[in-house]
Amino acid sequence: MQKLPLSLARPGMILAKPVSRADGIAVAAQGTELSQGLLDRFDSMGVDAVVVEGNPVNLEGAAGDISYEKRAERLDHLFRKHAGDAWMGQIKKLLYDYFKLKAAGMAAVKAAAAPPREG
Amino acid sequence: MAEDLRTERKGLILAVKDLPTLPKVLDEVARLVERSDSSTEEVAKLISMDQVLSAKVLKMVNSPIYGFPGRISSIQHALVLLGFNVLRGIIVSTSVFEIMSENMVGLWEHSLGVALASSTVARAAGLRDPEEYSVAGLLHDLGKVVATVQLPELKGEIEQAVKTKDLMYIEAEKEVLGFGHDRINAWLADHWKLPPNIKEGLSYHHKPHLAQLYPDMACAVHIGDFMARVFEYGFGGDDNATYLRPEALKRLKLKPADVERILDHLCEQFLEIADLSFS
Repeated sequence: MQKLPLSLARPGMILAKPVSRADGIAVAAQGTELSQGLLDRFDSMGVDAVVVEGNPVNLEGAAGDISYEKRAERLDHLFRKHAGDAWMGQIKKLLYDYFKLKAAGMAAVKAAAAPPREG
Repeated sequence: MAEDLRTERKGLILAVKDLPTLPKVLDEVARLVERSDSSTEEVAKLISMDQVLSAKVLKMVNSPIYGFPGRISSIQHALVLLGFNVLRGIIVSTSVFEIMSENMVGLWEHSLGVALASSTVARAAGLRDPEEYSVAGLLHDLGKVVATVQLPELKGEIEQAVKTKDLMYIEAEKEVLGFGHDRINAWLADHWKLPPNIKEGLSYHHKPHLAQLYPDMACAVHIGDFMARVFEYGFGGDDNATYLRPEALKRLKLKPADVERILDHLCEQFLEIADLSFS
């Protein structure tokens, strides 16, 4: 799941969260596939960001960009000072398993979704 | 390090004339709150007079961090739902972070992340008033901001030590300043008369097992800080997972299943707060 500014959203992406106008009224449901028409409508309603399935855009380093695969990979680095500590080893393993499971879940969702259309 | 140098630096950090000033309205509000015959209506009216401030407060309380997204429309409503302590904490944080330069955006994001994570932990542990934990999380690195503002030349030295010696920021602070931001937090909490539970969260988030008065608060912020670092949400000054104190999980009776629920919630919510700025 990734939050994108409207300018980076493209037709074919799937909404992972409903989209609401500033006044709170929902205008598109979770699971909706984006189309150019829908994106134009969001734009005219003042919607500035959408949350979509997967990680379709590389927003390297941006806050809120959560790629589970990357989180799992980073654990070795983040826990480098606790190498050899049994307790922190347990915590690291819990986190690693958690992120790996999440990553697998995402991959399954991606595989199940229809391939993105051209254009 | 010589004791007199340390004392001098404490003095410099607390040099009141250079400290970020809190909005004047806060003093008046504090006086009003202490009186037994004041109503929330009067307090709300006073805060609302400062329009810029109330807009910032409303933006913050309506963020997913506090769990009422988009539903709090007035200061009075916010006061009733969140209480004065939370509002006061939000006002302090916006005032302090306002003076930060652009290159400290990472610390602001880290603080938001810890605010969200601390209240998530508090909710999972079934603690009362989770919003107070958010505020303690939001303010937990205040000492880093203030030290940077008051002793800008030493900030470079701290960052250098973090980089070259692969230290945690707090270790580097102790090397360069002679004390860590947890100590500065305690001084600031006294100086700004923050409530004692928030003070405990700020000054014991690195050593929650030593907290005496409000250990739940210290433990929740401690775990919140750890979580924000694991997700690398924002940047607290170094890229390390802090040592997660087993006592903290035990104290809050959190089991692995609870930790997974907390992680699930954070995966969802970190996305939501990503565009919350302090300006």
